[in-house]
Amino acid sequence: MTRRQVFFLFLLPAVLVLLMVSIFPLIEAVNLSLHNRVLRYPTARFIGLQNFSKLAGDRRFWNSLKISFIWEGVTVSGSLLLGIALALALYKKMGDKLKAVLTLALILPVVLPRVSAAYVWRLMYSPVLGVFNYFLGWVGIGPVEFLSNRHLALFSVAIIDIWQWGLLLAVLILNLLESLPEEPTEAALIDGVGPWQLHRYITLPMVVPQIVSLTFVKMVESLRSFDLIYVLTKGGPGISTETLDLYAYQAGIGISGRISYASCISLLMLIATVAFMTAIWKVYKKWSFA
Amino acid sequence: MVFRLKKILLYVVIAIIFLIAIFPIYWTAIGSFKFVRDIVTPVPKFIFTPTLTNYIDVLKIADIRGSLLNSIIVVTGASLLGFILGVPAAYVFARFSFKHKDDLQFWVLSLRMMPPVAVVIPFISIWLGLGLFDTYISLIVTYLLISLPIVIWLSIDSFKNVPVECEEAAMVEGCSYFRVFYRVALPIAGPTLIGGLLFSFILVWNEFFLAFVLTSQKMTMPVAAASFAMVGMEIPWGLICASICLLSIPPLILASVFSKFLQSYFLPKISE
Repeated sequence: MTRRQVFFLFLLPAVLVLLMVSIFPLIEAVNLSLHNRVLRYPTARFIGLQNFSKLAGDRRFWNSLKISFIWEGVTVSGSLLLGIALALALYKKMGDKLKAVLTLALILPVVLPRVSAAYVWRLMYSPVLGVFNYFLGWVGIGPVEFLSNRHLALFSVAIIDIWQWGLLLAVLILNLLESLPEEPTEAALIDGVGPWQLHRYITLPMVVPQIVSLTFVKMVESLRSFDLIYVLTKGGPGISTETLDLYAYQAGIGISGRISYASCISLLMLIATVAFMTAIWKVYKKWSFA
Repeated sequence: MVFRLKKILLYVVIAIIFLIAIFPIYWTAIGSFKFVRDIVTPVPKFIFTPTLTNYIDVLKIADIRGSLLNSIIVVTGASLLGFILGVPAAYVFARFSFKHKDDLQFWVLSLRMMPPVAVVIPFISIWLGLGLFDTYISLIVTYLLISLPIVIWLSIDSFKNVPVECEEAAMVEGCSYFRVFYRVALPIAGPTLIGGLLFSFILVWNEFFLAFVLTSQKMTMPVAAASFAMVGMEIPWGLICASICLLSIPPLILASVFSKFLQSYFLPKISE
């Protein structure tokens, strides 16, 4: 076999399969969004951009857009801040063995299936039998309805996401910081720089590109919030935790089966994802990680 | 003295961080061994008589047993197929240079990041149209969108770590390109390639949304576990804890594999 043959034989099957499972759904999504397909009926009519104009006047859509924005803001900044804070607190404080054990513990939450994570916390959030309300009872608060109070529900769910991702980011950022070259930090320490200044002016600036790219990765991941929210609140109480993907699900599959309408919403999410991914790509190209 | 205090404080902080990560999982795990009367108490019980009833009861439910089998079939199918297709492609990415290689490489990764809702809605219509809705085939093909990019992505690094000298030596001995791949590169990269396979296994095993929408008879384990919440008013906490533990054991066992790939998965290096 020539080198050329190996090249095509090895690469083409994978690329063709990936093209198939990505291009067909994309074409079908655009196609659906221009029709008025409803799941119960086999036929549909071409209606152009009517779905999109209907979307513009849909208050439930605007609500879900707002919820999605809050969700993105809270989970991305929350997990990033937690990750950085923990990484700085643990920076060069542990021996290899302790670090290995703690690292494994910190990634368990994110390895857990999201459905499991949801139930694990639902058990603790329960107003009747949950541990949180038991401890809050000690200080005379509660019982707090973590998941059925519409001002609290979104944040209660977000905490679970931050629990999963913040701890993972802590591991990643800690590894980044500890694998930095020794000379600059040692020089600074000899000059009598305190820990806060050390991180503020020396270590953190060196990992900015990686943290920026992790931020975008988390932004994309946060768009994939359906499982967690669905299992915990189904978008409720009311529509107070209904993000874009939950609304798309409810409109397209759950309640009314207006799959064409749902397709419009999902296309918007796809555009957002592509935008974030392009940003990641730009970051990579600018600072190719050594 | 101050030094010792600092040391103690550090260990306290580490212990708290450890507890935050572990306690929620631990609490559900011990819940699965409790009688319901020990779960549903206003005061949390740490000491109780352990029992296996929850596991026995949960395995008596036909949906759970069926979903366990479905999950094993679908997840194994999707990750093996991803492995067979992905590993050779990764070899090409690692050893050949061609135009727009980095763009193609990034496109592969970006597929993994597609929002599931944008994938699942057109796939309903596609699988219904082909008469394949709610079958193993359709679910496995859909899951290739997760497993194939992951395997390619993680295997590139494995092949790059194979010393080029070994391959060149084999070439000098008169091995063909194909032989060099499967007699030299594949065995040396083998262990880490298996790691990549297990990584994609975890991600597909955990997946909920696609399976939830695209199946009814062929539902997978996360879907079956999630459907518990919807069976009436009384939440069967004992059964939930047991089914959640069954669902979580495989990924938790494989967590150390996951930890080896963290850096190359979340902060990948784009070559050249």
